[in-house]
Amino acid sequence: MKSWLTPFLVLALAGAAFLLFPYNLAFLTRILIMILLVLSLDLVLGFAGIATLGQAAMYGTGAYAAGLFAVHASGNPLAGLLVGAFAGAALALVSGLLLMRTRGLTLIMLTIAVASLCLEAANQLRGLTGGADGLRGIRMQPVLGLFPFDFAGQTGYWYALSVTVLVFAGLAVLTRSAFGLSLRGIHESPARMAAIGVSVYWRQVAAYTIGGGIAGIAGALAAQITQLVSLESYSFTISAEALIMLILGGAGRLYGAVIGTVIFMVVHHVAAANDPFNWLFVIGALVLFVVFLVPNGLVSLPLAVTRLWKGARHARA
Amino acid sequence: MTRISCAAIAAALTALCGQMAGADTIKVGVIAPFSGPFATYGTQYRNAIEVYVAQHGNKAGEHEIEFVYKDSGGPNPDQVRSIAQELLIRDRVDYLAGFTFTPNALAVAPLIDQSETPTVIFNAATSSINKESKFFLRTSYTMWQVSEPLAQWAFDQGIKTVATTVSDYGPGIDAETAFRAAFEERGGKVVDAIRMPLSTTDFTPFLQRVRDEKPDAVFTFLPGGPPTFTYTKTYNENGLAQEGIRFLGTAETEEVNLQGLGEAAVGLTTAYHYSGAHDSETNRAFTAKLAEMFPGAVANWSSVGAYDGVDLIYHMVETSGSDGPAAIEAALGREWESPRGPLKLDPETRTVAQNVYIREVERDPASGQLVNREKGVIANVGDLGWTR
Repeated sequence: MKSWLTPFLVLALAGAAFLLFPYNLAFLTRILIMILLVLSLDLVLGFAGIATLGQAAMYGTGAYAAGLFAVHASGNPLAGLLVGAFAGAALALVSGLLLMRTRGLTLIMLTIAVASLCLEAANQLRGLTGGADGLRGIRMQPVLGLFPFDFAGQTGYWYALSVTVLVFAGLAVLTRSAFGLSLRGIHESPARMAAIGVSVYWRQVAAYTIGGGIAGIAGALAAQITQLVSLESYSFTISAEALIMLILGGAGRLYGAVIGTVIFMVVHHVAAANDPFNWLFVIGALVLFVVFLVPNGLVSLPLAVTRLWKGARHARA
Repeated sequence: MTRISCAAIAAALTALCGQMAGADTIKVGVIAPFSGPFATYGTQYRNAIEVYVAQHGNKAGEHEIEFVYKDSGGPNPDQVRSIAQELLIRDRVDYLAGFTFTPNALAVAPLIDQSETPTVIFNAATSSINKESKFFLRTSYTMWQVSEPLAQWAFDQGIKTVATTVSDYGPGIDAETAFRAAFEERGGKVVDAIRMPLSTTDFTPFLQRVRDEKPDAVFTFLPGGPPTFTYTKTYNENGLAQEGIRFLGTAETEEVNLQGLGEAAVGLTTAYHYSGAHDSETNRAFTAKLAEMFPGAVANWSSVGAYDGVDLIYHMVETSGSDGPAAIEAALGREWESPRGPLKLDPETRTVAQNVYIREVERDPASGQLVNREKGVIANVGDLGWTR
């Protein structure tokens, strides 16, 4: 009965944010893009249990693919998104075929290696990517031919919000499907899943590929809205920050990805705006607080409180 | 929904405009790295800006000037673009300034074009940035501007063969390209072009290779800090100086890290547009005020880029207030005296034309400190990379 309530509330908040912060739309759009990336990481790490610190590889590839597509082929935003998704998924598939054969630390190291390889390749292919100067000359057509990208970033916001909502809905369906449940099973115990006849390897490759596609979409959105792609989209910082946001919110829960990203980015933004010189302290304190006091992430905070309250009621009765 | 939000924005803007009209404060948004590994840039800019304000007051003509600082971290165009958008829409700044990295500057080009906001680049040194918007003005330098005069000077000194060793990243490759093109055009020969990985900690193999090739000089470009320490140390230890292979560089001996290089730095030759030891009234006033306000602070090229950038902004505000296109018009062709020497904002490239000095590191007998002593000057060099 209440299953529609949470998504409705979140959407209402997104709408309210648009009205309440008309001057911060660019920032809100960045939050949405980051939510997409963290969602992709949630599918890969939170659900399928694939330990990765290299999600930026697919993010950056999506960004460069969409950027190059816009520069050389067409400025159609939706086509660009598809290209970004396809590029991200393709890289995830190819690298995943090798990566999913490894576990633990080896896997983490290899995911970092893939992102570093992409970074160096983009750095060397200066003629194509612009190298350290960044890929420029991205000019976007109006979304659906109707909504041109405007100065205040209104179109960018609604565009990114629509994409995020669609991806979220898709993931909500996916994670409730048999495939999604089998991923959870693999997360809990790969050996048991193998014993009941599930091909753990191929399921993980599939999850990694889908996650790669979503990260590609996030990168493509960033390229289209910033109109510039830099080597930083492959940076380790992006992979690491996405992981921190996911852990902050709570891995293995889709809303965890959303909450973690929003809280991290808002705290980051407010702290950096108020004290551009020492704001990193605040971020450090926040991460320490969550890791020590709410180890399952902020998404589990209301649950814990509700349980406590219900428990108290039962005790009284 | 859109209509309601437009109304809301309009109402908010009207309210803001009402506040603005009385005070007549012109805001300048400074986007620079204030945190992380590149925070030195931000500190240098901010110190220089505060020195300028202390010397000239916070009023330009009838307008009061206020600086709003925003942290960009490292190269991060996504973030810089959204910060710039916020500065323009919410804080309603009339001028933008800062920009250490090329992609960060490029990211704001479409914005400043639309909002007609004069944007003064304090550092980013890729020539082509200014082609992206006519509202970009640059008070730093470009890679070509210092590399080509160095090649010219070296050739005139009788240096005919050079090996280049650069760090393998954007600016390093730009420096290599610029030096090589300029040197070979004049008839010199680049015998070897070595690109060293950014993470190199031991330069011995590269410098040994250079030593074996016996060129007249070695040209180098390294990011500031530890790589420069190690490189110059290795250059001396491997006896390249004794072999008569001269060191040719640009920013390697910049003032903030110069004392750290120690005795190994003495005799290094560089071509650059600013030396902290530049002998002029303006420079002495600047460095003295800086030392007085921020004990321990040292002026280097990024300080002077910011100092001159603010000077240019004061000039634009005084003549044109918040009228962007008029301000650009007023800035183009302006000539003034900077701590680095005479400057002219070139109307075509919108980068300052300036003197490039050939310097040699010496120990100053009076202070006992290492200084970049100016030995020669190539006057009025424009942005030579513009037409390349």
